[in-house]
Amino acid sequence: MSAVAYPEKPAFLREVTFWRVVKVLILLGFLIFVPFYSDSRFITTVFISAVMFGVFAAIYDLMIGYGGLINFGYAGFIAAGAYTSALAWFHFGISPWIGMFLGGVMCAVLGFLLGVISLRLRGLYLALMTFFVGEAIRFSIANTPEYTRGMLGLSVAPLPDLFGISFARGELLNYYYLLLVMGAAIMIFMTVLVRSKFGLAFKAMREDQLATESLGISTTRYKLYNFTIASFLTGILAGFYAHYLGILSPTPEEFGVPKTVQILTITYVGGRGTLWGSLFSGFLLIGFQEYFRALGAWRLVMFGALLIFVMLYARRGLAGLKKYVW
Amino acid sequence: MDLDLLLNPIILSEILLQGMVRGSMYALMGCGLSLIFGLMGVKNFSHGEFFMLGTYMMYFVAVMMDMPFLAGIFAAAVVLFIFGMLVERSLIATLRKRAGRDWLLDAFVLTIGMMVVMQNLALLIFGSRRRGIARLVEGSVDIGPISITLERLTILLVAVLVVIVLWAFIKYTRTGKAIRATGQDPDAAQTLGIDVNRVYTYTFGIGAALAGIAGGLLISIFPAYPTVGFQPVIKSIAVVILGGLGNVPGAIAAGLLLGVIEAYSLFFFAAGWQNVITAILVVLVLMVRPYGLFSSAKGERP
Repeated sequence: MSAVAYPEKPAFLREVTFWRVVKVLILLGFLIFVPFYSDSRFITTVFISAVMFGVFAAIYDLMIGYGGLINFGYAGFIAAGAYTSALAWFHFGISPWIGMFLGGVMCAVLGFLLGVISLRLRGLYLALMTFFVGEAIRFSIANTPEYTRGMLGLSVAPLPDLFGISFARGELLNYYYLLLVMGAAIMIFMTVLVRSKFGLAFKAMREDQLATESLGISTTRYKLYNFTIASFLTGILAGFYAHYLGILSPTPEEFGVPKTVQILTITYVGGRGTLWGSLFSGFLLIGFQEYFRALGAWRLVMFGALLIFVMLYARRGLAGLKKYVW
Repeated sequence: MDLDLLLNPIILSEILLQGMVRGSMYALMGCGLSLIFGLMGVKNFSHGEFFMLGTYMMYFVAVMMDMPFLAGIFAAAVVLFIFGMLVERSLIATLRKRAGRDWLLDAFVLTIGMMVVMQNLALLIFGSRRRGIARLVEGSVDIGPISITLERLTILLVAVLVVIVLWAFIKYTRTGKAIRATGQDPDAAQTLGIDVNRVYTYTFGIGAALAGIAGGLLISIFPAYPTVGFQPVIKSIAVVILGGLGNVPGAIAAGLLLGVIEAYSLFFFAAGWQNVITAILVVLVLMVRPYGLFSSAKGERP
């Protein structure tokens, strides 16, 4: 027993163990090199979808899994972000690189306003409120064809070159690596956020609003923070989505309930309150969906059945499997 | 906007009548949802798919088996009643018994899963073709200067009849009394010997049957196809919020109100904006009176 006092490591370093580093490196290697070496447009497209929806689902998780705030109009927010960036370029010639940021700001404003008008609502009432707000955004886009081309569809420019890297429509790998960088930044930001006092306040708010209030934490304020931050991140990623996709139209499949349900399913299957679980289930579900294209509508039947199963028997989702597999 | 149109009493009352027919459909669809919500607290997002099954039942009975349309409505009601009870027994009850802290939100997500499954199964089984009936009843009648088709009048009458039967059932029968007792206080009802679980099952079945009746009745407006339930479910959710969640008479009044508002906004604005107006109306009500327009409930906030 020596009396040497080891210097206390900072909290985040204490969690860095050898095996964790190895695991993260394996995953990163998988993400970086598989599309590169497979050299298949199909694989790259699937990876782009999986990462994009995985990160969307992780942002969704920030709201539902940490704050207990269900946003059932989420696709409407994606629409707002995507259209802001696309229209800024279309009408004012603003560079999409700035446009993506503008999309984030637009979404943050909308998220803040949504927070303000739903301050007093919780649970199901919040789900209904957000649902109608999302639909109102989508219908407003559909009903103003003179600005947004409505249901005719708005064609969006690809991203302009940056630092000599071409983002022409065919350069899928470049889009993929850009998405990886953006996704990583968003995920790291959210991970830091949920480990700060914000995260604690979010969780406290989810567990018991009254008790949280009585401890002197303003749930109102943290609800606004949560919605605003999550919407801002959504808007930025939605800008990428718009310029990657190349065409936007406010159909229900693209920006309505089916899209929200898809993202919500990824979040719930990944496990609420885990952030990273969403990425895994993004790969699982999107990969499944793309691989079994031949099954047609059966895939969606299985999607729904999976959601029902998770609600009934596996509330922690994939995160419940973590201790067996990883 | 032509000011003469705004002030012409004949046109205005014609729109009013159109709105009331529209509103009676909304009320019928909202009733079942409101009944389920009021008793169990479950927000059933697959209500539109019950509606969709109703349209298919109507089509099979009235067109393929060539029976009168009332038989189709009856068949839709019976089949959906049984189907609703099965769903409650097998899925919702499982979740309720586990009764976690926020199982209601979980139940909402569960019904979303049901929606996806039912829509796509319908797509696989029936295909995406629209199967409709052009008219249940031919002809039209004149009431003063206003003309209304018998079709619309039939819809209005059947809707009113169904609502009256529902009201009488809840008011006067033993089961109806058990439903009301359970709604007021499940624990006390159980103490008094009411089988609460059975009441939940019945209620869910009745709610589903009401959606089925609405689907069968409205087949000339909403033909049978897999995603037909989407518009109706949005409208019925709007109706239920405007009327106050769980308030069945409120849902009826709100249904009529929404129908009239939409009929006027369809007339005075471009088509498509009525959906935005509905959404804004609902958002305003949720902000200012979360308990609905016709509810006097105070106390704990939702």
